[in-house]
Amino acid sequence: MNILRWLVFGIAAIAMNFPVIVTLITSFKSAKEIAMNPGLIVQAPTFANYARVLTDTSRFNIYAYLFNSTVAAFIGSFLALLLTLPAAYAIVRTGVGKKHLLPVVANLRAVPLVVFAIPLYMMFQFVGLLDTRIGLGLILTIVNLPLSLMMMVNAISDIPGEIDEAARMDRASAFVILRRIVGPVIRPAIVTAFIFGFITAWNEYLFGLMLTTRQAVPITVGSSFFFSASGGGVQWGIASAVMVLGAMPPAILGCLIYRQLTGSMTAGAVKG
Amino acid sequence: MAQIKLDGTSKVFGDITVIPPLDLEIGKGEFVVFVGPSGSGKSTLLRLIAGLEQVSGGRIYIEGRDITTTPCGDRGLAMVFQSYALYPHMTVRQNMAFPLEMAGEAKASINRSIEETAHVLDITRFLDRRPAQLSGGQRQRVAIGRAIVRNPTAFLFDEPLSNLDAALRSSTRLEIMKLHQQLGATMIYVTHDQVEAMTMADRIVVLNHGKIEQVGTPQELYERPANLFVAEFIGAPRMNRIEGEAAAALGAGTIGVRPEHIRIVQESGLWQATVEVIENLGAESHVHTRSDVAGPLVVRMSGSPGVKIGDRIGLSPADGFVHRFDRHGMALR
Ligand SMILES: Nc1ncnc2c1ncn2[C@@H]1O[C@H](COP(=O)(O)OP(=O)(O)O)[C@@H](O)[C@H]1O
Ligand SMILES: [Mg+2]
Repeated sequence: MNILRWLVFGIAAIAMNFPVIVTLITSFKSAKEIAMNPGLIVQAPTFANYARVLTDTSRFNIYAYLFNSTVAAFIGSFLALLLTLPAAYAIVRTGVGKKHLLPVVANLRAVPLVVFAIPLYMMFQFVGLLDTRIGLGLILTIVNLPLSLMMMVNAISDIPGEIDEAARMDRASAFVILRRIVGPVIRPAIVTAFIFGFITAWNEYLFGLMLTTRQAVPITVGSSFFFSASGGGVQWGIASAVMVLGAMPPAILGCLIYRQLTGSMTAGAVKG
Repeated sequence: MAQIKLDGTSKVFGDITVIPPLDLEIGKGEFVVFVGPSGSGKSTLLRLIAGLEQVSGGRIYIEGRDITTTPCGDRGLAMVFQSYALYPHMTVRQNMAFPLEMAGEAKASINRSIEETAHVLDITRFLDRRPAQLSGGQRQRVAIGRAIVRNPTAFLFDEPLSNLDAALRSSTRLEIMKLHQQLGATMIYVTHDQVEAMTMADRIVVLNHGKIEQVGTPQELYERPANLFVAEFIGAPRMNRIEGEAAAALGAGTIGVRPEHIRIVQESGLWQATVEVIENLGAESHVHTRSDVAGPLVVRMSGSPGVKIGDRIGLSPADGFVHRFDRHGMALR
């Protein structure tokens, strides 16, 4: 019984992660082996692809792309939190916007982002934000706003109003309550929203493609450059290596989120 | 001089008048209890005084100063909430330090105040614990401690005992009364429990639908209720309410007699009745009877009852303890 269960689990895990597995395996194959051996077993494992990507930065600089992604994703998740935490606090405590604004903002996620692309391109051109990390970060902030707002609203709703009132009686201003009471109490939710936003921003492709050209290219766009690195056919091995490297940061953060998620659940159980 | 004075104070939520304009004066060092059924506006009235709600009309004075529009933190009042409202991420010490930090006190003086207060409330052992690691009763002490350290003009309590079990409730009740004597501070205490009101209050304010039905000492409310509502709300078991012929015979629309003021007399007596249920509490008994003219009547007597279910008995109200009310429920004197 147990064996069967693990068998099913194993098959499902392999099936779902097949593209990832293939990418990972391909990254360890030489160009010659890729052409001859499409199988899952690597005959002569090599780090050559990784070495090439990490050392030959003359044409495409993976370090620059990783740095751009890090900065833009950080801005995109940090700024989103900075904006949504006070907004969520106001929504929960005053009730303003709870009925109409919140559903609208939440549904912004359903609108295809490409709708915003052309007007944004023109606006960015006008204010000189094209191909800047800050510009990309600002866009990613907007991408992150809806989910971040929802998460903050949910977390703050769990704090009994009497706690705020006690703080008000203790002479705390709204800002002090936010910084010293609400913020610390919902810290697990804040960390989760930050990591979630960071991953979303890291994996964003469309705006990176549209709004950057040289200076601020993020890793998602940058890794596509490697597909045809030497002009001729697609260099699968090198492309795979770039993709594996580019997927590492969000994968690591994804593991962190899991621990935070369980943390926030227990934190909610001991309130009051 | 009144320390806290409400002058035509009212509160409207939307188009519902929760508190019609009312006047009230509370003296320095007084223990005043707001009592009334759930939804009668006790919390709202307390929150108006606290400044957690803005008045819709009228004014509020504290020590002669008009504080109607003063923010809640600047009124010099401390509040203890029903849910304790402790800051869950802070230790007991940090919880108690918070109001003092907000007031800009120096670290050394904050620590001294906390140690003193913790000693008085016997919570020194818990100072470095978080609220989640404390029992309900301990949390309530900490909440009271957080109020005391501020050395407020007056304390406001909103049903502070209703989350505690019965045994803890009566011991904490005693502690709050002791605290009141020690500190000599003004306290306003909200409860729906008339026993709490009777045992704790210097003066009771009975609220019903946001209206003050009567203000007086527990003794006054018990002996001379201004109307039927107060008469029935104060005292347990409830005052017997007699209408119709039996009331008209005494020149009233309604008469009320407390269960402890009816005596069982064999056969004769004002009212003839049949015994229906007997509750024997050991020290006292409640005899539930049905009278031919006066309807259901409860008799409270000390010790065990000398009657059994089905007995025909006569009942007599004690002289001078019959409360008479007119058709609108107002006391006739
Ligand atoms: N913020 C509010 N908005 C609308 N109605 C309210 C609000 N707070 C209280 N009420 C209403 O005012 C009445 C009195 O409430 P409350 O003061 O809490 O009563 P109590 O404390 O005596 O149980 C209730 O009918 C309640 O529904
Ligand atoms: Mg209440």
